[in-house]
This record gives sequence, C-alpha cells and structure tokens, in this order.
Amino acid sequence: MIELVDVVKHFGDVRAVDGISLTVPKGQFFCVLGPNAAGKTTTIKILVGLMRPNQGLARVAGFDVQQQPLEARRRLAYVPDFPFLYDKLTPWEFLRFTGQLFLMDDDHIRRAAADLIPRFQLEEWLHKPIESLSHGTRQRVAITSALLHDPEVFVIDEPMVGLDPHHARVVKDTLRERAQRGMTVFLSTHQTSVAEEMADRVGIIHRGRLVAVGTPAELHSKAGTDGALERAFLSITEGERQQPTPVA
Amino acid sequence: MSRFPSPLALLIRVNALSSWRRLLALRHESRLLVGVIAAFLSGYLVLSFLLFDLGLRFIGRFPGLGSLLVERLLFLLFAFLFSLLLLSNLVIAYTNLFRNRETAFLLTAPVPVESVVRWKLIESSLLASWAFLFLIAPLLAAYGISNNVAWHFYPVTFVFVGIFLVIPGVAGAAAAVTLARHLDRKAFQLTALCAVVGFILLVAWRFRPEPVADEQLEARIQAVIDRLLVNTRFAQSPVLPSYWLSAAVQNWAEGALPVAGFFALVLLSNALLLSRLAALFLGRPFYSAASSVQSRSSVFAEWAWFRRLEERRRSMALLLRDSFLAESSPSEGSQPPQPLARWTPSDHLDRLLQMLRLPPDARAIIAKDIRVFWRDTTQWGQSVLLFGLLTVYIINLRHFTRQLDSQFWISLVSFLNLGACALNVATITTRFVFPQFSLEGRRVWLVGLAPLGLARAVRIKFWLATLTALVLTVSLTVLSGNLLRLEWPRIVFFAGATTLMTFTLNGIAVGLGVLYPNFRETNPSKIVSGFGGTFCLVLSFLYILTSVVVLGVGSPWGWRDNESHPGRAMAAWTVFVLFSALAGAVPLRMGLRKAATTEL
Repeated sequence: MIELVDVVKHFGDVRAVDGISLTVPKGQFFCVLGPNAAGKTTTIKILVGLMRPNQGLARVAGFDVQQQPLEARRRLAYVPDFPFLYDKLTPWEFLRFTGQLFLMDDDHIRRAAADLIPRFQLEEWLHKPIESLSHGTRQRVAITSALLHDPEVFVIDEPMVGLDPHHARVVKDTLRERAQRGMTVFLSTHQTSVAEEMADRVGIIHRGRLVAVGTPAELHSKAGTDGALERAFLSITEGERQQPTPVA
Repeated sequence: MSRFPSPLALLIRVNALSSWRRLLALRHESRLLVGVIAAFLSGYLVLSFLLFDLGLRFIGRFPGLGSLLVERLLFLLFAFLFSLLLLSNLVIAYTNLFRNRETAFLLTAPVPVESVVRWKLIESSLLASWAFLFLIAPLLAAYGISNNVAWHFYPVTFVFVGIFLVIPGVAGAAAAVTLARHLDRKAFQLTALCAVVGFILLVAWRFRPEPVADEQLEARIQAVIDRLLVNTRFAQSPVLPSYWLSAAVQNWAEGALPVAGFFALVLLSNALLLSRLAALFLGRPFYSAASSVQSRSSVFAEWAWFRRLEERRRSMALLLRDSFLAESSPSEGSQPPQPLARWTPSDHLDRLLQMLRLPPDARAIIAKDIRVFWRDTTQWGQSVLLFGLLTVYIINLRHFTRQLDSQFWISLVSFLNLGACALNVATITTRFVFPQFSLEGRRVWLVGLAPLGLARAVRIKFWLATLTALVLTVSLTVLSGNLLRLEWPRIVFFAGATTLMTFTLNGIAVGLGVLYPNFRETNPSKIVSGFGGTFCLVLSFLYILTSVVVLGVGSPWGWRDNESHPGRAMAAWTVFVLFSALAGAVPLRMGLRKAATTEL
C-alpha cells in the first residue's frame, strides 16, 4: 500500500508538488496522468526516497520512506523511464546482483527468474553484454530485475517507452497479474489509453496538485465527458490551466 | 554472520568485473593503436625516471646543501600533490555522489546510504589517485636508486602511499557533501574554479621571482637557495599529511626504520580515523545533500535580488527586441510587434554571426556549439585554467629576461614556450574538441539528416575550434616573444609554427573524434578517457615532440652563436610542414569520409 500525506516540494520559489495526499490500497493498479512538468516525476522521487519532501510524508507498505528507508525499499521496486543498468554485465549477472541486493539466495533468484525470463523473452539475451542490447530489451531487463524480489509496491515511470506492442502487452499482463496477487502498482504515463486499459484508479496531477482522482468512469463524471479517457483528461487539465501558477 | 554478501562487497565485485571487461575489450581494438599507447606510457615512465634520476643526482651534488635540497624538494612535491589530490577528489566525489546514475539506482535499492557513500568514496579515490601514482612512481624509483636503498623500500613505500591516498579521498568527499548541501552544480563549479585560481595566485605571489641586481650576481645561487628554503618551509608543517608521507619515505630510505614506522603509524591512524568517521557520519549528510541537489533550480534563484535582476534583464531584452522590430517594420501603418517576438528575445550572438555573412546552416552549428560551451561551466572553466596558467607563466618571463642573456638560454626558453603552448592546445583539443562529434549523441540524426549533412557539420566544427584556438595561441606566442625581447623575425617564426600546429592538433582531434565516437556517453570527460581520447592525446603529444625537436634542431639561429643557418632552417621547415600536413590532414580526411558515409 502507498500513502502520501500532504506532500509539498519546492524548487526554489516554485511548488513542484503542492500538498498531494493519496492512498493506494494493497493490490490496486493506480495510474497517474499529467501534462509535462506537472509534478509526476517529483512525486515519484519522493515516494521512492530519492528526494526529501519539504512537508508531509510518504509511506510504502506502512513504512515511512524517510524514517525507515531500508524497510520501505525492501518492499519497493522502482523502474525509471531510463533505468540504470551495468553495461558491462550480462542480464543474468545483473539479475543476480539485484537479487542479492534484496537478500535473495541463488536458489531463490533462480526460481524467480525461471518464471520471469521466458515471460519477457530474455533467454536469447541472457548471457550477452547489456551494452549490446536494444532500448526495448534493456527496458525488459530492468522490469524483470525489479519484479525479481516480488515487491509489495511497484513504481514505474513510462513503462511502454521503447517496447514493441507484443512486449508492451507482456508488461501490462504481468503487472495486472501481480496486482491481482496483491502487488500495488503506481504507474506514471502520458498515454491515457494505458491508464484507461489498466488502471483501477487514475489520478491527474497538474501544476503540482492532484486535481482529480477516481475510476475512469468517475473522472468522466467529474469532467462531464464520455468516450475516451483522453477527453476527461483534457477537460480537467484545460479547466485547471486557467488558474494562476502556484508559488511558495 | 550473514550468509548474504554485504552490499559493499557486491558493489566492489560488480564494478571490478565491469572494469576487467573494459580492459579485456582492448583486445578488439587495433593492435597497432594499443601498441602506440602502451609504448607512449612506457616511454613516459622511462623518460621521467631518467629525468628524475638525473635531477636528483644533480641536486644531491650541491656542496653541503645537496641532501637538504633533495629532502625539501620531496616535502614540497608531496605538499603540492596533496593539494591537487584534495581538489581532484572534491570534484570527482561531487560528480560521483550527486551526478551519477548508479548512485540514484542504489538509493532506491535496500542499500544503506552509508554503504553507498563507502563505495562511492572508494571509487572516487581510485579515479582521483591513479594519475598521482603514475606521476610519483618514477620519482620514487629514482629516489630509491639514487639513495641505494634496500629492496623493501619499494613495497613499503607503495603501502605508505596507499594509506596516504585515503586522507585526501575522505577529505575531498566530505567537502563535496558539505558544498553540495549549499551550492548547485554551476555554483559548485564556479567555487571550485575560484579556489583553483586563488590557489594559483597564492602560489604565484609566494614564489614570485625577484629581480637580481648585478652586484648580487656573484652570490646569486646562495641567495636563491636561501630564499627557496625560507619560502618552502610551509611544506614541512607537521600537521600536513604530505609531511608524514615524506618523512616516512625518507626515513625508511635512510634506514631510520623506527622513525619511518612512527610517521607511517601517524598516517595509518589518521587514515583509519577519517575513514571510520566517514563511514559512520557521512551517510545522513550525503542523503540530505543528494535531496538538496535534486531540489534546486539554481542557488542564485534562491536570492530575491537575483530574481529581480533576472526579471529586469528579461524585460529589458524584450523591450529592446520590440523597439528593434518597430524600427525595422515599415513606417506606414506602423504595426505593433508580432506576438512571436515576445518569446524570442534579442540575441547578440545571432546578430554577430549574421554580420559575419556566414551561411545559415554554418551559423546555426556555430551558435549552438558556442552556447553549449558557454553554458557548461566545466568546459570554459578548464580552458580558462589551462590558458590562465600559461599566461601567468609567460607574463612571469619578463622577470627572467635579465638573466636570459645567452643565446643558448633564449633559444631554449623560446622553443620550450612553443612546446608548452602546443601542449596546452593539445590538452584543450583532446578535452573539448575530440568529444564534440560524440556529444551530438542520440541527436546526431538531427544534424545528419539536415541538408548540410554530417561531413559539413564536422568541417564547421573544425574551423570554429581552430580559429578560436588560433586567437589564443598566436596572441600568447607574440606576447612571450615580446617579453623575451626577441626580434620580429623570431616572433614571426614561432607564430607561424604555432599556427600550423594549431591546425594540425585540431585536425587530429576532430578526425579521431569522428573515427572513434561514443554516442552512448553524455559526459565529455568519460568520452575522452576512452580509447579514442587516449589515442588522440598520445598522437598529439608525439606530434608536438617531433615538431619541436625538428624545429629546434633546424633552428635558423644558432644555439651557441647568433649566425643564421638558412639552409638548415629551410630543410627543417619543409619536414615540419609535410609532417604537420600528414599528421593533421590524414585523420581529418578519414573522419570526414566516415562522417559522409555514416549510417544514422
């Protein structure tokens, strides 16, 4: 489960995150949408502990990210839009390394990998240097390594970048399946279609504030729109655009 | 005991494996090129060993003062290297802790921040210190041989140096964390630059040469040595870690093992204390600093006066732009400025380039490269530093002109100046011009698919870099010639040589930059430290060495007399011009050919 309580983050005199409060229960698939520079990535950075908020707190699986960072991170997996991988390692060596960081023994790593590797079709690439892999394959390696320790909370930023339709489907199905087994998913994207297809609940962040949250149907109802979620998104963010920029 | 390896052990293992594979990847490079680099590095070690050996024996023979001077020289050298190590650790630790993707990755994994700091401290110290080891190895070997030391001097010294390196490593990292909490990247770079300039000025002031009167010439050596000993006494301050190292090394060499052991223990206890303190207490400040670094738009923007100033500057630029548009628009019906003008404030650089009547595509590339260079504090900061040091040296030449009264010394200093100026250009071209093509990175298609094409873009980069460097190198050459009171023919001779060398060095850097690109890396210093960058540096240095030797041997003016030797000079210049054309044009042409046929 994820909890954000009145989180505020300033960048100089700009409020990048302006009092966001949100609870994502265990096993829920939550998508966050928002225009560029809305505050999505900053919110994620606070959630995963890369950044300290000026105010408020973030909890992962019941642990305060700032006060109990190791407990929180053991239950968390984070895949950024451009994930870091060791170029000179092979995908298998990288999986083993991340597994060991999460205190998994070799047997445990092998068992977990045996399920994920065929699913993400990494067999062919498993013992080749990561530097020789395409962007999409690297993305699949990053997602596999993040899922290896069976996290309680999975945070992912723009997961479909660089993935072909087949592998995008695999990622969606895997995340949906894991969510059904109790993993909380927090997915940030610009693609309203992904949110519409996958999310149990959608949040819209605009100018640092959580301006709308609910099921796709609830967002339509709030915006007075119907059809694609894109319409509701545009209606809500256009309405908010008339407001002045918040400052600290 | 836990059955799982510690995060630090895992990180060391993974990074050691990566480094080993990087080394093994050299097998896929051309054997000739690897051989050239290996020969160059070995040549450096042998040559510097011979020079140190010669110098130490020469100084050691000074009657009554030899051993004292050698001792002081070691204290001084280690004190300077300690200051440089501190600075280099500070800069590398900052980049490694706060501008590194591995650090961000580890901060989201269940790795204690203390382990992250420990690993980054080890990595930064290694990165900052390998050059130090490379520099002092021949010196210590020469010192050992000239003192006829026992075999165990060498491994023990290696251990002493290893312990010593921990101290600037920890101090640099602690300083980087402290500064990062208060300064953003740009402000940090400016502070580091100011610190270096301040350090140079301090050194220049402390060791400023004093004019020697004719009546003092008789006792000049004694006076200079007295002055030297007084001015360098600071290097023997017992609170300096470099003093402990020097004392340990020198006492071991002299066989005073208990005294050497004492200083080694002082080094060890301080290194252990600092590492323990860093391991225990640097984690939390590091996390706060990392969060601050990601949370700032600009340090300056946190000050209200700066924001007001910026706002005023922006309004003024828009006002000027509007009035410029109003003046240039037809008077009839005097239309107000288009809304677009509000978003395109006036740009002096564009106007300046328009005045040069360059084609628009060339203007676009030049404006982009100048802006990128100017906005990257590291790039112009390092250039200012390198040319600043050279300028300080050249301006100080005026103090020596009185002493430089023999033909031999005037010739030697002027040829050494030519070499120093060319080495500076080589450092600049390798550091900044070589990575230019690679820095187009994943955007290379943008230039490559534009009508101008990659080859023309490379040619524009070559001309921009060469002409900019020429302004500096020719000015400095003429200035040094004037300060050495050379006649005009000599100044023209050296200015001509500098011009040709600047063209060649830029040709090497641009050509090899295209031949050995690295589009994955965004950090120019990492691009340079790869195989292509090292090869560029080696080739540039070999070219400079050969050129200066050829020109020196074939100097039109005699080394011992003032007679001219036109035949010898003509032959030397012919060799120099042909060699320069070959060394510069071949890589440039190969690079252009590759750029023209590159598949995007």
